[in-house]
Amino acid sequence: MKRLVLLIFLSLLGSSLAQGTLRIGWAGSPDTLNPGTAVLAEAFTLFDLVYDSLFNLELDGSIQPELVESYDVSEDGKVWTFNIHQGVMFHDGKPLTAADVAFSLDYYKANTDFPFANGYTSYFDTVEAKDDSKVVVTLSEAIPNMLSQLLYLYILPEHVWSAYPAGSAASEFENLDMIGSGPFKMTEYKQGEFVRLTANKEHYAKPPKIDEVVFQTFGSQDVLVQALKTGQVDMITEMPNTAVVSLRNDPNIELVLGAPLAPSVRDVFFNLTTAETCPADDGICSGHPALLDLTVRKALAHATDKLQIIDVALLGLGSPGTGIIMDGMGEWYNTEVKDYDYDPEAANKLLDDAGYLDTNNDGVREMPDGSRDLSFRFYWPNDVIEAPRVAELLSQMWGDIGVKLELQALDPDALTSVCCPSFDYDIMMWGWSSDPDPGFMLSILTTDEVTTGTSETGYSNPEYDELYSAQATELDPAKRQAIVWQMQDIMMRDLPYIIPYYQQQVQAFRTDRFSGWRTDATKVALEDPSSLTQIEAIQ
Amino acid sequence: MTKLILRKLGWALVTIAFVLLLNFFLFRVMGDPTRLLKDPRLTQATIEAIRVRFGLDKPVINCFESLNPVKVSLQACAVNPFETQFSAYISNLLKGDLGVSFHSQRPVADLLGERLWNTILLIGAGQILAIIIGVTLGLFAAWKARTALDYTALIASLAAWSLPTFWLGILLLFWGSHYFGLPLGGKETIGSGLAGWGRLVDISKHLLLPTLTFTLVFIGEYMLIMRSTVLDVLSEDYILTAKAKGLTTFQILKDHALRNAMLPIVTIVALNLGFTVAGAIQIETVFSWPGLGLTIFEAVGRRDYPVLQGAFLLLAVSVVLANVIADLLYTFLDPRVRLG
Repeated sequence: MKRLVLLIFLSLLGSSLAQGTLRIGWAGSPDTLNPGTAVLAEAFTLFDLVYDSLFNLELDGSIQPELVESYDVSEDGKVWTFNIHQGVMFHDGKPLTAADVAFSLDYYKANTDFPFANGYTSYFDTVEAKDDSKVVVTLSEAIPNMLSQLLYLYILPEHVWSAYPAGSAASEFENLDMIGSGPFKMTEYKQGEFVRLTANKEHYAKPPKIDEVVFQTFGSQDVLVQALKTGQVDMITEMPNTAVVSLRNDPNIELVLGAPLAPSVRDVFFNLTTAETCPADDGICSGHPALLDLTVRKALAHATDKLQIIDVALLGLGSPGTGIIMDGMGEWYNTEVKDYDYDPEAANKLLDDAGYLDTNNDGVREMPDGSRDLSFRFYWPNDVIEAPRVAELLSQMWGDIGVKLELQALDPDALTSVCCPSFDYDIMMWGWSSDPDPGFMLSILTTDEVTTGTSETGYSNPEYDELYSAQATELDPAKRQAIVWQMQDIMMRDLPYIIPYYQQQVQAFRTDRFSGWRTDATKVALEDPSSLTQIEAIQ
Repeated sequence: MTKLILRKLGWALVTIAFVLLLNFFLFRVMGDPTRLLKDPRLTQATIEAIRVRFGLDKPVINCFESLNPVKVSLQACAVNPFETQFSAYISNLLKGDLGVSFHSQRPVADLLGERLWNTILLIGAGQILAIIIGVTLGLFAAWKARTALDYTALIASLAAWSLPTFWLGILLLFWGSHYFGLPLGGKETIGSGLAGWGRLVDISKHLLLPTLTFTLVFIGEYMLIMRSTVLDVLSEDYILTAKAKGLTTFQILKDHALRNAMLPIVTIVALNLGFTVAGAIQIETVFSWPGLGLTIFEAVGRRDYPVLQGAFLLLAVSVVLANVIADLLYTFLDPRVRLG
């Protein structure tokens, strides 16, 4: 026994490390290696490394050709012709041709239970491989965001996947070999434990300089920080905001801050359903009538000190939010939209002038007709770390203008059932993460979505709906941008949402093992191919 | 003897059948797993297709709303009563099929099989150490009752027993990694290429801290029970006789006290198996140890019914079996316990 203990401790001293192996720590892990059925972001991180798709989302938010050498679109916007790079090889040595591309796009379209991939193909009418390098996609109607539909449709080898055509054969195919054409190859995978990839040095465009990358799953973000400090990993993809200070003081560690790769937003929203808009089947629509009054919502906006919320709840790692189209969406984000200043006096005046007075001196205002207090139910999801602090702060800030909040955390399921389409709440805090294209986020506020459960607010405005349809068919990017910006002005004017902040992504890496990380982009994603194919081991 | 074993196994089967039923309904109370997919990209049609894939489009057992956390259409209710989630569950089980995980789309049996051995390794190492140390401590504490040794052991055991498992785990994790460079998670060094003795050492390094946590948490219980039982035994007449015969302290403890005091320990070990796994959930989560506990923890968050059903079935079977074995062990430990 003594000898064993001695041996164990002796062996601790010399832990050998392959020089070219990068070790990444993260707190999650992919749900599956099957690009059709995967849901989690961690899975898509791997797909980006192991597969190629026709187009790639760059860290500056732009969309650039990946497997596509050149492309062409017909006058009416319906027929897209893509010329594929020649000489691209799958990891098993077989060539990637237009037939594989056509097969993959058709495959995603045929499997209607593929959560995301299927949705991206919904406007595809036919997909044809004309020859080895030419693919023609015909759309059922012209859409302005064709390229963003292709970002996550990874090109699969037909010779592997044709054996798993549909149904449970397709969804239960584990794809453990993960034969792709990307800059990294799958070597070893243990679900929920680790993923080991080796470099595909023969990659046609961006062969990695390192030999190997290992993603290891740790139990919590706090443990990740410790793993980086002790040098057990070289980079971590996430960390609690509280760790930032201690890592900043570590000479061997560099922090990177910026917008997250997948745009996301934390939102506070109001129940705006009325007797007319209440969904017939599921609607309860018990919202407080005062919230239907724009003056009240404006007063709440004026009473919201976003900077204080960012300082206290996010420890400074965020920027004030304006709308549900977030700063991570690049050109679609309206930089000129005018937010309501933090001005409690103006808020008080708005409420006073509109007749919301505290006549019984209990510190809470009443409706002009005296029927009810301005006391609102406020719900938030109990799985969001910073949410309780934000709720407390809002309760204080709004309390200062005579508005009372009844705070309650709910689990996401309970939140769904009171949210939508039942609309059994007054105010709620929740959030979204999104694609680079603004289409999905904009749809949330349309009248059509009130009954489906996607609309959280029950907001209904014909002017907005019209603009939504217009941007969905506007093929000129500049014109579409103008419409999207105008819609954000309307959101700010009508205030269905108050967006307290846009959270920043924080990642960190050790400076003593690898160099060449992409840290200058607007978005932060050190696990993206843009970094992993560039970095080099320090000798 | 055979008749008794058969009767015990018969009761064990009834218990397991009851657990099977409970498992099915217990997890469905958590709600619809597809509700966790909140994403503007997901259309209602896609979610419906995913429900069909999971078999959640069918009624749970009948059309009472309270039993169907997921809304079921009237059409689905009008169909054959044998086309329910419950009938599918039972018929699959009879075929030995535990289903497919909602989260990873992998067969539950594969998933649990992969992780079961890791948990057995962790629990095994932790329990054996806890039993050896706890029983020895208890024995000597009883022998030296009301001395400094006794009080020290007693207080230390009580303290360790009352520590929250996850908190102790996190402390040991940070301490062990900072001062001794011990690994912060996982079962072995990834891609180390080690084999044989080297790999064994590597796994031991990873196992050290979780096992230590496990041992510390469970020592207290064994020590306290052992101590009080041995105290009882030591006041028996036959101990006096043994002393009078001139036997050494060691002989008395080993041959007379220990064996008689083993009965409650065996009971506790068997009963503890369920709690042990609860401990494993916390320890495996803190140490990212890829075992059953971590699997259960993750599956709860994802409402992965098939995985939970499979894992709890496995647990129920092992607890029931452990108790059957304990029952049988009594007869060997104490001839006074008669069969039948």
